Amino acid sequence: MNKAAFYDLDGTLLHCDLVREHAYYARNDRSLVRSAWQLSLAVLRVPWLAALAPYSRRRFNISLFRAYKGMHRDRLVGLADDLFEVTLKPSIFLQAKSLIDCTRDLGYRNVLVTGTLDFTVRPIALHFGIDDVICNRLEFKNHIATGIALPPLLAEDEKARSIREYAEKEDIDLSQSCAFSDSAADVPMLTAVGHPVATNPTPKLRRKALQNNWPIIELRENSSSLPPFLTTSAKTL
Amino acid sequence: MKYFTPWRWNPIRGEYENGTPAPLQGTGEISAIDAFSNRTMLLLGGTGFVGKVLLAMVLDRFPEMKHLVVQVRRKKNVGGEQRFYSEVLNSPPLRPIVERLGGETAVRNKVSIVEGDLDEPLCGLSSDQITALKGSVDIVVNLAGLVEFDPPLNESIEPNVYGTQHVIDLVKALEAKLVHISTCYVAGKKDGHISEETPIAGYFPLRDQTPDKHFSVTEELKWCNQFVEETRATRSTNPRPVRERLREGGMARADSWGWTNIYTYTKSMGEQVIAQTPGLTYAIVRPAIVESSMQFPFPGWNEGFTTSAPLVLMGGSGVKGWPVRRDGPLEIIPVDLVAAGILIVTAAVLCGKHKPVYHLASADQNPIMLPRLVAFLGMNSRYKHKHMKSGNRLANVWKAYVETRVITVESLQSRRAKLHRRLDVIHATLTLGKTVLGGNQLDPYLKSLRDTRRQIRAQEITLDKFLPFMFHNKYIFETRNIREASRMLTNEDLKRLNWDPETIDWADYWVNIHTKGIEKWIRPMFAPQRKAAG
Repeated sequence: MNKAAFYDLDGTLLHCDLVREHAYYARNDRSLVRSAWQLSLAVLRVPWLAALAPYSRRRFNISLFRAYKGMHRDRLVGLADDLFEVTLKPSIFLQAKSLIDCTRDLGYRNVLVTGTLDFTVRPIALHFGIDDVICNRLEFKNHIATGIALPPLLAEDEKARSIREYAEKEDIDLSQSCAFSDSAADVPMLTAVGHPVATNPTPKLRRKALQNNWPIIELRENSSSLPPFLTTSAKTL
Repeated sequence: MKYFTPWRWNPIRGEYENGTPAPLQGTGEISAIDAFSNRTMLLLGGTGFVGKVLLAMVLDRFPEMKHLVVQVRRKKNVGGEQRFYSEVLNSPPLRPIVERLGGETAVRNKVSIVEGDLDEPLCGLSSDQITALKGSVDIVVNLAGLVEFDPPLNESIEPNVYGTQHVIDLVKALEAKLVHISTCYVAGKKDGHISEETPIAGYFPLRDQTPDKHFSVTEELKWCNQFVEETRATRSTNPRPVRERLREGGMARADSWGWTNIYTYTKSMGEQVIAQTPGLTYAIVRPAIVESSMQFPFPGWNEGFTTSAPLVLMGGSGVKGWPVRRDGPLEIIPVDLVAAGILIVTAAVLCGKHKPVYHLASADQNPIMLPRLVAFLGMNSRYKHKHMKSGNRLANVWKAYVETRVITVESLQSRRAKLHRRLDVIHATLTLGKTVLGGNQLDPYLKSLRDTRRQIRAQEITLDKFLPFMFHNKYIFETRNIREASRMLTNEDLKRLNWDPETIDWADYWVNIHTKGIEKWIRPMFAPQRKAAG
């Protein structure tokens, strides 16, 4: 059987979030007037989303994706590279690439499991050399976004379910696999694998990791900090 | 990188669909694997954009093929065989395939090279070579020809009409069958659906609109030869260059029959020569505008200059107003689909289940509308100029943030006139300044102005060449025959060859594959030319 390394994205590999990603698309609409209008709406939505995020990640995603309503898919696909260069690439954590390279070298299949939308994920996945992507997709009618995410909406428990489904289809041994996330909302995803790693954890996840004796790593720092199970494997190579 | 998802994009409806697609099922009336097994193919034009991909596909997917004979033209002091092994086999689409097959030695066992030229009788093959090949070559695939839109008339007629006659003579001498590659645009100035069933012989685009329905290739060639001779004879009395007059005369003649340019006019005559040859087993394959590969040999491979590459490069340089039809598609087709289509037709010809004409195009199943392409061009310009480190910052901001727009030809002409008036004023001011001030202080500005004018003129010429395909006509080429042939394959064939333009996600293709392919493979080819011109 194969083994995989499952990575969350926002907060784990880079310092960006769905709100900033949407704000980029909003302020780059086809005309200045439309851009200003869309950006104003995005800004007005921020307090509501900030209040929603700690309460339910799922509802947060649903609410945020509604803001994409009316956007043309061509534009979203066409702007993704620019979003990556302008916003996402500079926010990648120092050690993120070397961690991904390390898991690849150790024979793990690298899989991104993220609530981020497919067109935004593409350049990131290519940059990291990710093998497979499990992410959200928007519904489109005649190329125009309806503001609804297609099921299954990846958040909280759904990430764990998707990982299990992926493992079954791709013949992955989850007990030999590892998962990296920064957020307590991803605890189900972390517990689905044999080697969970709290990565740049929030205080809540840090407490959970300490309780469960999970390794904690910081990709934001310059020094290398591989979790113990990877260090051992690396030494045996 | 692949997505793990239950959803797949339906480009025609513009939405995601759930569920796995039904497995491909062929009727098995044609078996490409059986057709190619122990057969020998003679490939003419294997050194071009489509030819290399076709060659790579045959070598990669049909190890059953007994032998491949590739005709290669000598170039100056480099012989055909040397050119093939140094230039063709080392090209990006073939290199990985050759390595996978086990290197040059493995290819030498499978492929032999004959030196020749379409301009010569029997394509330059000697009688000994013909004797050796006779009986062993089963099919000749002819991709050779001149694809330039408006060369001097004689330069297009030589390979595209007389060259085709030489190919026919060769096919007859070898007692083989012929697959001839032409272009969809032989239809000429037409609007709407273009049928594959229109009779080839005697065709000219204005046939339905003129009382005189007569067109004869023999008579036309007579006219052309006379025109070329007369033009050359007036070399001493007419100050304009002969090549220029041959180009203009050819364009006027093509236009008078309803063709868009010299290329389509001469290619149509080539087709007519084939159709009028008694006893010849043939199929004519007409691709639309051939573009970067989707998948094979890798996404984004491109080396074609007569593709949309000049437009993409112009878009990348910041052109904002695009004269295109709002209701029309651009008939483009990735090169790997073209190669697969040619092999499907070749199999059909070998199995004796072919039709005379096959269009290889996308718009009748999955059209990419021109206004969408204009928006893509704008987004590419935005990306490039936003991240550009050189050049004028203000100009870069303008090119990055001002959106591309669809304009009319009238608006284009008026913009051009205004632009040239402004440039005239700047030129006059600089010249006056130079006279008043004396010295050479203003020379760099004058030189820069001259360069700008030259670039603008080059862009205008390029755009004008594409107007028949983007503005003046709305083409939708019917592709019933290739879809039918594809359905007739066996299930095993369908794993190796498939005709599926209806699955192309144009946004992904144009943004992530085609534009990046052109930037990577074509832009460096343009750069030295520009440097030399400068």
